[in-house]
Amino acid sequence: MLDQLINGLVVGNLYALTAVGITQIYGVANVINFAHGSLYMVGAFVGWMAVTWLGLPLLPTLLLVLVASALLGLAVERVAIRPFAGSGRTVLLLTTIAAGLVLEQAAQLIWGPETKAFHTPFADVRVRVGGGFLSSLDLVILAVGLTTALALWLFLKRSRLGWAVRATAQDREAALQMGVDVNQVSRVSFAMAGALAGVSGLLVGLYYHSVYPTMGFSASLKGFTAALLGGLGNIPGALVGAYLLGTAESLAVAWLGSTWRDLVGIGLLLGVLLFRPNGLFAAARALLPEPTAGTFIPIGRPLPIPRWALPAAGAVALALPLVVRNGYWLQVLATAWIFGLLAISLNLIAGTAGQISLGHAGFLALGAYASAILTTRLQWPFLLSLAVAPVIAAAVGVVLCYPALRLRGQYLAVATIGLGQGIALVALNWTALTRGPLGISNIAPPGLFGVEITSAAGFYWLTLTLLLGGIWVAERLSGSYLGRALRAVREDEVAARAYGVGLERYKSIAFGLSAFIAGLAGVLLAHAYTYIAPDTFTHAMSLQVLTMVVLGGLDNTIGAVAGALALIVIPESARFLAEYRFLVYGLLLLVMLRFRPRGLLSAAS
Amino acid sequence: MVLVSLRGAQRARFWLAWVLAFSVVLAGCSSAATAPSGAQGSAGSQNGAQGEVLIGVMGPLTGDSAEYGKIWRRGFDLALEEINAAGGVQGRPLNYVFEDTQSDPKQSPAVAQKFVNDPRVVAVIGDFSSPASMAASPIFQRAGLVQLGITNSHPDFTKTGDFIWSNSTSQTDEAPFLARLAVEQLGRKRLAVLHQNTDWGKTTADLFVEQARALGAEVVLQEAYLLTEKDFRPVLTKARDAQPDALVLISYYNDGALIAQQIPAVGLDVTVLAASSVYSPQFLNLGGAAVEGVYTVSRFHPADPRPEAQQFVERFRERYGTDPDTFAAGAYDGMKILAAVLNRVGVDRKALRDGLEQAEHLETILQGATAFGEDRRLRNPRFVPLVVRGGAFAIWNP
Repeated sequence: MLDQLINGLVVGNLYALTAVGITQIYGVANVINFAHGSLYMVGAFVGWMAVTWLGLPLLPTLLLVLVASALLGLAVERVAIRPFAGSGRTVLLLTTIAAGLVLEQAAQLIWGPETKAFHTPFADVRVRVGGGFLSSLDLVILAVGLTTALALWLFLKRSRLGWAVRATAQDREAALQMGVDVNQVSRVSFAMAGALAGVSGLLVGLYYHSVYPTMGFSASLKGFTAALLGGLGNIPGALVGAYLLGTAESLAVAWLGSTWRDLVGIGLLLGVLLFRPNGLFAAARALLPEPTAGTFIPIGRPLPIPRWALPAAGAVALALPLVVRNGYWLQVLATAWIFGLLAISLNLIAGTAGQISLGHAGFLALGAYASAILTTRLQWPFLLSLAVAPVIAAAVGVVLCYPALRLRGQYLAVATIGLGQGIALVALNWTALTRGPLGISNIAPPGLFGVEITSAAGFYWLTLTLLLGGIWVAERLSGSYLGRALRAVREDEVAARAYGVGLERYKSIAFGLSAFIAGLAGVLLAHAYTYIAPDTFTHAMSLQVLTMVVLGGLDNTIGAVAGALALIVIPESARFLAEYRFLVYGLLLLVMLRFRPRGLLSAAS
Repeated sequence: MVLVSLRGAQRARFWLAWVLAFSVVLAGCSSAATAPSGAQGSAGSQNGAQGEVLIGVMGPLTGDSAEYGKIWRRGFDLALEEINAAGGVQGRPLNYVFEDTQSDPKQSPAVAQKFVNDPRVVAVIGDFSSPASMAASPIFQRAGLVQLGITNSHPDFTKTGDFIWSNSTSQTDEAPFLARLAVEQLGRKRLAVLHQNTDWGKTTADLFVEQARALGAEVVLQEAYLLTEKDFRPVLTKARDAQPDALVLISYYNDGALIAQQIPAVGLDVTVLAASSVYSPQFLNLGGAAVEGVYTVSRFHPADPRPEAQQFVERFRERYGTDPDTFAAGAYDGMKILAAVLNRVGVDRKALRDGLEQAEHLETILQGATAFGEDRRLRNPRFVPLVVRGGAFAIWNP
């Protein structure tokens, strides 16, 4: 028991440094920085180079990492934050994701993809505590963690610049009027958060004796969780949240088993968001620190599309397999149509109702698993499953999301990350139903009235038909009372409620419809792949769908489909770039967001 | 004035961004041009022409599993060098196209279609992970193009149809061997088993436990962990409290090395055995002193006295400065098997499938001369017991 607690505290300490950086940036710039994990990874690599190549001892290594990652933090602010000031925070969400992707890909090219051994540059002494041991490394981590947190706290409480940071965090406009150089403050914050991320990367690299380019993602998830537990923007809160998370996970492993670790983290997160949405230490009744009106989502006017253009495009798409005999491109386009459905579904909640979801792959998984189980276990025909599985996805989706519906903006976004991961974890752990990690194989290809659809063209038509149906439904909905009510919820919840629009009811309807359409996409996907496993539905997939929607233009059905088409076809046609493919993808994303922040199919505002 | 200068700055930024993007594109092109892609090769008809014969490879070159794609390439390149030095396939040079799928099931079906449509491709190797490989299998099966999996131990992989083959072992082969090493040869009776919660980890662990129990050992703990897990102290503490006399790791080398390093931290002092997948120089490199004394089994060891194995190891070392692991040997074997059968039956997709079925004497590094069985996997895989001694894997003799 004692050693499990110590474990938890040491790991919590590692989470703490990441969480503090995230919370500080949120406090100042009101952005959840998704590039944080990549800064952390680069910090670890810089430290690894200093120790392994230069043979530096700990202290100079630490300084080097501090400086290098502070500079990198500044660079991220310069490239991914400052040019996008005023673009709305969904765009910033994506620019930080893109910056993180660029850093991660660059690291793979520079240092290679393989895991590197990171040996401690000082003697490893162990002290016996309880049944286990406390090593000199644990103590170093504890010391560095606490010192950094203390230094940060003193800086914020005692220095003039620290006051400026806090003033900006409280009210950017007011601080500006009082003569605070808010841009300077933003730069300082990013440099500091970068340094914190780098140091925590270094310590984690030392703790696990290894560094690798993709180490940032799960670390940043833990950081978000800890920061939210303590309340975003609250530094001591983030520290406590991190220790709490570390300890809870450690005990969960001891009592329930190792695969429960992440589920417990997610459960804790959702529980806190549900009962104390501002974190454990905020006054319970305080308002959520999110804007109430339209600033979170930058909605552009849709580009005027002539009335004949859409049916014409649909007809061309339908006729395509008659001309194009190349199965490869039909396959690529069929994938694009499935993701088009998924993008329409996300656009319904993110664009129309203004509820950003970062866990949409979870809905997809619900539909895919439902259909896979119905057709393999119960031998249902494809058509019946196509009708029923999305209903199951919608029902389960609404029940799961219901508690999160009170949350707004970035809080909701982080809660949905948790939901998406949670669904995949349940699929992994509920072995009796889902075959757990083995996945479900030999799912029959789609069939209509006894005829199996196996050709690329047949599958293309099937997906396209459903996509066109999806577009029609979404467009009808957009112009209906329901669509207007959802937009009212997006623009101003208080006003919407005052006009008699029941928030939770309408949000539930939006999530239900969205989960239904995503479930439909999931059925197609399961029968196209014929094999699904929990790792088919990754967080990266959720991010990609959100990127499609934002790129196409929020609240723009055709834009969502165009975004899906672009983001499936561009990486496919960039295959000749080999290892550089996703680096270029990240850069292009940044450039596109810079010049069309409201999406491809939006008129300039 | 301010407005104008702002616009100027914006324009400059615009061009800077594009120049940056394009220079990366160009860099990509120039590096892609040197890769053995053969994309510009002559598109000869399937049989008659004297152009290159192509093997399609789908696997991870970017993303989480990118390092395995890199190891594969080494094995392929070495195999191709030998094959082409010996006259290629029926006098035509053999080459491969490596398409990056990131081992992602969203990308592998499209790549599969691409290969199916390319008449120069006579067979496909890959993909790496089960979801990516098995999402592509139906496309290959329908088109009648051989898919040879070189890492696919998922028990269902070859079941999609008679065009799906693998030279990787299924878990049914390895797990009992590891169990006999632990219980019979090392005499351990109280086993704690940690396994990664993947298709491979789960099946291997279950088979191991079944066999160990049949041999009379007691399994005092069986715990799954997520592949993304880094902090094993809690689960190791649990293992310690179960008082085992051996700890069995069903792990890859990354997680295996990580666990081994954390074992002393919880005060656990027992024999450690690990599945064959830890057999890699990376395991020693990452684990350092902590993996000393770890037992494992392997389909491959550089000290294997067979001359063809010795020759392979020597050439691999010469070229890459490191010892090959099972992944590299598997990739090398995969390419060699396809080349040998193609040479025998001619460059034709259907003939290749029949050839794989009929081939009776396939030379491999992993298991000597062998042939495919009913399940379209290699027959009678062999394993060597190994132990880490002095920072290297050594063959263990009782």
